[in-house]
Amino acid sequence: MKKKQIAITLGVMCFILTMSIAIQIRTVTSSNSTASQSLINNGLRDEVLRWKERYDNAYQELLESEKQLTQIREKATQNNTTANAKQEQIKENNMLLGTVEVKGGGLEIMLADNNAAATNLIDPSMVLVHYDDLLQVVNALNNAGAEAISINGQRVITTTAITCEGNVIKVNGEKISSPFTIKAIGSQGLLLGAMTMAGGYLDNLESWGVIVNVKTVDDITIEKYNGIISYKYVKNK
Amino acid sequence: MIFIAIVVGCILGAIIGIYAPMVPYTYSGYLAIAIIAALDSVFGGIASTLNKQFDLKIFVSGFFGNAILSMLLTYLGQKLNVDIYLAAIVVFVGRMFNNLAIIRRYYLEKWTNRKEKLKTEKTEQ
Repeated sequence: MKKKQIAITLGVMCFILTMSIAIQIRTVTSSNSTASQSLINNGLRDEVLRWKERYDNAYQELLESEKQLTQIREKATQNNTTANAKQEQIKENNMLLGTVEVKGGGLEIMLADNNAAATNLIDPSMVLVHYDDLLQVVNALNNAGAEAISINGQRVITTTAITCEGNVIKVNGEKISSPFTIKAIGSQGLLLGAMTMAGGYLDNLESWGVIVNVKTVDDITIEKYNGIISYKYVKNK
Repeated sequence: MIFIAIVVGCILGAIIGIYAPMVPYTYSGYLAIAIIAALDSVFGGIASTLNKQFDLKIFVSGFFGNAILSMLLTYLGQKLNVDIYLAAIVVFVGRMFNNLAIIRRYYLEKWTNRKEKLKTEKTEQ
């Protein structure tokens, strides 16, 4: 009789035990533990890299076909004056959009974090270049009549956004970091005067301790916008 | 008899556990420590049955008491930012090994005794 009682209690206990073990195993496998989370992160990182590679390949293909297109267009419009005029118009429009490389005289501004001073300051924020500094400089350049601007190789076009992403600044969605080289094409005298005037933004930056270097260059090449300009919601009237 | 009950209990528990609702992930830590405590109690129960010292009241109170106490300690540890559940795991798993050793010795002795008996019977013949 006593043995039976023992057997039943042990059986019931084992029943409870295995049930809770089964529940626990299911809970753990269905939720993301820390180990599997890092696995998921790694997988996502891999996927991002793979997509980036695929994007780069597709972009190369696009560049090649664009080159072919211009060649074909030139050939087709060789002996046709109206077509030639249109061809010129396309070229000009592309230049305005920023989808072709442009050359000309202009200004080169170098802004850099003053790392030597930053180590001695409690708040090094003053001597670092922030995204709003770039915005102000670009704004001042536009105000002085710059026709083409680029920051570290990123062409500033109509849809360009300059944003703060923690430690880095993003221009056109691409990460850039100090030192920043801002190139602008325009009237050298006007640009230089506007940028280096006393009380101007660069003057302020320099007084705060940021490394600022402005020089005029007679032959600047400004890179083309290396993205796709596409409109989804805007329509021709 | 006892082992049939244990096996039947395990199988039934596994079947019902597969279809039972899941526990929220925040509470699965508590369930885990309760499982360790209960596992310790079950091994203790088996070991004491073999030693013929089994007491139902002690066993049942230990089964539920240890589980609840360890869960409470885990909760307290979380509030105090100390991993108290590690201490509970060390104690329970240590005891589990002790009980497993008792069970192992009991059956080893039984086995060697039977072998010797067979030997003596053979020599007597």
